[in-house]
Amino acid sequence: MSFINPLSDEGKQIVREDGGDLDRIFDENVPLINTIIENSSQGDLEIKDVPSNYVDLAIKRLEWYLRRSNDPNYNHKEFDFLFNPEITKFDVIAFYILCQAIGIKYGSNSRESRAIVESQGQISAQRLSPSILINHSNEEKRKIRLERRTIIEDTIKNLENVKWTSITDLLSSKKITLQELILDKGEIILDKEDFINRFEGEIHHRQPERMYNVLIGNKIKEIILARMIMQSTENYIKSVHERSSTVEPNPVLLKIAERVTEFLSKETLNYGGYGGYGGADAKASPLNVEKFPPCIRKALDGIKSGGRNEVIVLFLTPFLSYARLYPSIFGKKTSLKVSDVDPDLKITKNEILPIIHDAADKCSPPLFDDQPQEKININAKLGFGMHAELNLQHEGETTWYTPMSCDKVKLNMPDLCRPDKTCKGLNNPLSYYNRKMREK
Amino acid sequence: MEFFKPATEQERRLYYKEEWDVKQVPDFILDHLENREFGFDHFGRGPNDRYKVFNTPYYLKRFLKTRNPFAAYCSVAFYKKPKKRKDWMKSELVFDVDAKDIPIRTCNCDNVCEICLNEAKGIVNNIIDTLKGDLGLKNIHLIYSGRGYHIRVLDDEVMEIDSDVRSQVLKYVVGADIPEEEYGEMNEKYNPPHFIIPIGYPKVFTDRVKYSIFHLTKNSKIDDVNEKLLKDILKNRYLLEENNWGLFKNNIGPLRYKKIVNGIASLNMSLVDGKVSIDLKRILRLPSSLHSKVSMRCTEVKNIETFDPFKDAVPKFVWERND
Repeated sequence: MSFINPLSDEGKQIVREDGGDLDRIFDENVPLINTIIENSSQGDLEIKDVPSNYVDLAIKRLEWYLRRSNDPNYNHKEFDFLFNPEITKFDVIAFYILCQAIGIKYGSNSRESRAIVESQGQISAQRLSPSILINHSNEEKRKIRLERRTIIEDTIKNLENVKWTSITDLLSSKKITLQELILDKGEIILDKEDFINRFEGEIHHRQPERMYNVLIGNKIKEIILARMIMQSTENYIKSVHERSSTVEPNPVLLKIAERVTEFLSKETLNYGGYGGYGGADAKASPLNVEKFPPCIRKALDGIKSGGRNEVIVLFLTPFLSYARLYPSIFGKKTSLKVSDVDPDLKITKNEILPIIHDAADKCSPPLFDDQPQEKININAKLGFGMHAELNLQHEGETTWYTPMSCDKVKLNMPDLCRPDKTCKGLNNPLSYYNRKMREK
Repeated sequence: MEFFKPATEQERRLYYKEEWDVKQVPDFILDHLENREFGFDHFGRGPNDRYKVFNTPYYLKRFLKTRNPFAAYCSVAFYKKPKKRKDWMKSELVFDVDAKDIPIRTCNCDNVCEICLNEAKGIVNNIIDTLKGDLGLKNIHLIYSGRGYHIRVLDDEVMEIDSDVRSQVLKYVVGADIPEEEYGEMNEKYNPPHFIIPIGYPKVFTDRVKYSIFHLTKNSKIDDVNEKLLKDILKNRYLLEENNWGLFKNNIGPLRYKKIVNGIASLNMSLVDGKVSIDLKRILRLPSSLHSKVSMRCTEVKNIETFDPFKDAVPKFVWERND
C-alpha cells in the first residue's frame, strides 16, 4: 500500500520506525544499494546510476519524472528499480525527506513542490499500471493484479468522493473525459458499494455488480487515485510548511532543499521545461494531401454554404502553413515565425498560398469574388500584418495563428468534422497529419 | 394579434419609460454589477457601444431610461477592470438555445413561433435536468431571450473552467458524442450498446437520441441518412415509446442504425450554439431589456413548467397596438 501511497498509515508507520536519523541520510546506505542491485537484472543498471543514499534516491524520483517526459534518450531500464516493490521502505523515507525539505524551505506553492507533487502522481500511476508486470510469470501476474485491485479499492473506500469540478485540469488536458466518468449529483462514483446504493433502482434485468465492473474501469480509478495522492502530497507539504514557522529548521533538510533546486534548474535548462514530448520529432517536409485528415480534405473542396471565411482564413491557413513548415509546434512549445523556417518565403508563396487560394476559389460563391479583403486576412494569420503582399518587413505585426483544435472545429464548423479511425484520441488535425506521416 | 414584429422607436421609449424598472434585472446580475461589462446596440446594427460599466443599479437605470437602446447586453464574464475588459476573474457557464436555429423543428416557420419556442423549451429542460442530476450544479438561471432561451450557471466551481472543459460539458449535456463502445481491459472486454446502460453519459445520450428521433419530420435533414432510412425511422420510432431499442435497431439493421446514431450525434451538437458556451467573454442580452427586433421582453423564467412567452414576455405596448 505505501508503495503506491506513501502517505497511507502503513507509510507513516515506516517513517516512525526507520526514519529517525537525519544526520546520516547523506551517508552511503549499503542495504539500499544491495536491495537495488539484487533486484535488477544483469546489465540493466550501471553502478553510477545506483543511488547510494536516501537523498540520491529522492533526487532519482524527480529525475525519472523529468527525463521521462522531456528526454528523447530516456531509458526506462535506468529507473527500473523505482518500480520494484522491494525498495518500498527506502522509497517511503526518501519521499518524506523530499516533502519535508521542500515544505520547510519553500512551501507548497513553489516550483519544487509542484515537481514533487507531480512526480508522485506519475510514480503512483506507473506503479499501478499493468506494464510493470512484464517480467513476471503468469501466476505472479495474477497475484499482482489481484493485489493491485485490492489496493485500489481499499484506497478508494477510505477516501471521500471527488467532484468532477475538482479535476477540471485532467479534463482540460484530456487525460480523462467527462463522458468516461459515472457522475451523480456532481460526484464521481468509483466505489462499488456506493455505486450499487445509488443506481440499484435504475438497473433492471442486469446485475448491478456486473454493471459496475463493466463501467468503472481501472483506468479511471487509477487516474483519480493518483490525483488524490497528489492532493494529499500537496497538503502534506503545506502542513510541513505551516509547522516550520514555529521551529528552527534542520540544516540538513535545508541542504537537501538546495540540492533539489539546483537539480531542477539544471534539468529544466537541459530539456526546455516541463511538459510532453509528443510530436516533437515531426520534420518539415512537402505537403502530402493524402495524409490530411477528413476535415481538411473537406475544406479543400471548397465550402458551399456559410462560414467560408472562417474555414479558409482561420482553419485552413494555420493548418497548411504549420503542416508544411513547423509540424512539431505542439511538441516543441517554442513559437517561431514563418521566416525562421522559410527565410525567403519561397515555400509559403509557391506551396502553401496556392492551395489556400485554390480552396477559396472552390467555395460557392468563390470567396475572393465578394470578399477580396480576405486575402489580406490570410497574410495576417501567417504573421505578416494587414497587407496585400507577403513582405518580410511586416512580419511580426500579427502572430502566426496555430492550428485550430478538433473541439474548436466541432463547435465552429461542425459540418467539417467527419472523424475516421485515425482521429480517435487525437485533439488536433495537425496531430492526425503527423501521425499519418510517421506511418509512411 | 401579430407577434414578433419589430418595435418602433416610439414603442421602445414607452417601454423603458413605463414598463421597465431596474428592479426587474435579476439579482445574479445586480449582485456584482460593478464587475460586468455592458454593451448596447443603439441603432439596430449590433452592439457596438461596449466597455460600459455601471457601479450601481441607479446608473444603469438612468442610462436605460434616457437612451432607450435598441438592445442591451451584459457580459457573462466578471472582470476586475471591466471598463478595459481586463483582469478576467471568472465567467458564467452558458448555453444558448435559439428557437430559430434548432436543426429539427416540426414547424416550418421562417422566424420563430409557438411550436419551435416550445421545442426550445423542451431541449432546455433536458439540459437543465442533466446539469442538476449528473453534474450536481445548483445555481442555474433560465432566461427567455426573446427568440429562445439562455441557461446561465453561476456555481462557483464552474465559473473558472476553461473553454476546453466547457466544450466537454456542452457535449455531455446535449449528447453530441457517441458513447464509448468498448469497456474493460485486455482479456475482459465488453461492447454494450449505449441503450443498455441506464446511467452516466450513455443514458444521457440515449435520452437525447430518443428526443431527437421523436422530433424528426419527413423533411428533416440528417447527415448520411437518406430518404428511405428517414422513412424507416419514422415508421419504427413508435417502438422507442416503450424503449424497445433492441427491436428498433433490429428492424432498421445494425449498420443503418449506426448511421442514424452518427447523424443524430452531430445534429445534437447544433441544438445549442456552441460558440456562446466556449466564449469566456461573451455578452448576452440583459434580462428585463427589450428585444426590439421581435418586440419581446428578455426575462428570467422562474417556473419553466408554467412559463408562457406569449403571456409573460409580451410588453404592454404590443397589446395596445391597433392592427
